[in-house]
Amino acid sequence: MKGLSSLERIILECVGKGSLSFQEIQTQTGIYENICFNLIQALIIRGLLKNEGVKYKISSSLSPLVLEEINGHEAKIAESLEMIEAVIEQTSCRVFRFQKIALDPKDEKIFLAMLSNFESFLSDAHKKSQASVPLKERKIIFWGMGEVQNLMHKIVTGR
Amino acid sequence: MSLQKKTINRYRHFFPEDTLREVSARTGIQITRIFRLFNGKNMKVAELEAFQNIIDLKLSENKNLKRVENALDEAYSILTNEELYKIANYIERKVVARSYSRYHLNSFKDAIIA
Repeated sequence: MKGLSSLERIILECVGKGSLSFQEIQTQTGIYENICFNLIQALIIRGLLKNEGVKYKISSSLSPLVLEEINGHEAKIAESLEMIEAVIEQTSCRVFRFQKIALDPKDEKIFLAMLSNFESFLSDAHKKSQASVPLKERKIIFWGMGEVQNLMHKIVTGR
Repeated sequence: MSLQKKTINRYRHFFPEDTLREVSARTGIQITRIFRLFNGKNMKVAELEAFQNIIDLKLSENKNLKRVENALDEAYSILTNEELYKIANYIERKVVARSYSRYHLNSFKDAIIA
């Protein structure tokens, strides 16, 4: 498999630039203990994580090829799809809207401006709370827009 | 991973709670031999076939498997290379995510000591 799975990414994001013990990683990610252990071992085998005593940290000597593989465009798309699918399949606390909206050019501009405001609100909210809210309690938020004709064309031709 | 190891892993995936006695009853292989095979002793072809038959039987119970096979057959000839790449990636990701939780037990009740 190319890239990282969402689970592997969560572990790497959790460790970040610091170094954390297994217990800290497990508490912050909320992943079951044995799964968390398996994930850490897999990341060590791939050379992305290394242990220093009882602490784990991201390997500092990652080659540009490996970095491209885990942070490249394709890997990000695959991970986003994985997360979006999980959000759609949620049964409890499900928040998901999907609609075909008729927007005239003026309303479209207003909508894009509102999205821009929304984005800066999210950015501020994240900065404010990132130190206090653990990774497992953070929310996945996504949005997107496309024209029906173009999307249908892409679905039909696969390009 | 060797074919033997793969086959035993697949068997364990389908029948995670089987005791040695149950594995022996299913495959028709002696219990002491099963113990040796699970501890890395090399399999004979007939033994490998016995395990493979049980796995195939289990797989044939799942109607979706045939659908996946048919869909993939059709996909090979119709879809673009890029689309096939996406499908392969999607399946690989599902498998990797599941393989991490393969040995996860929801509670101690699930842990059966054979």
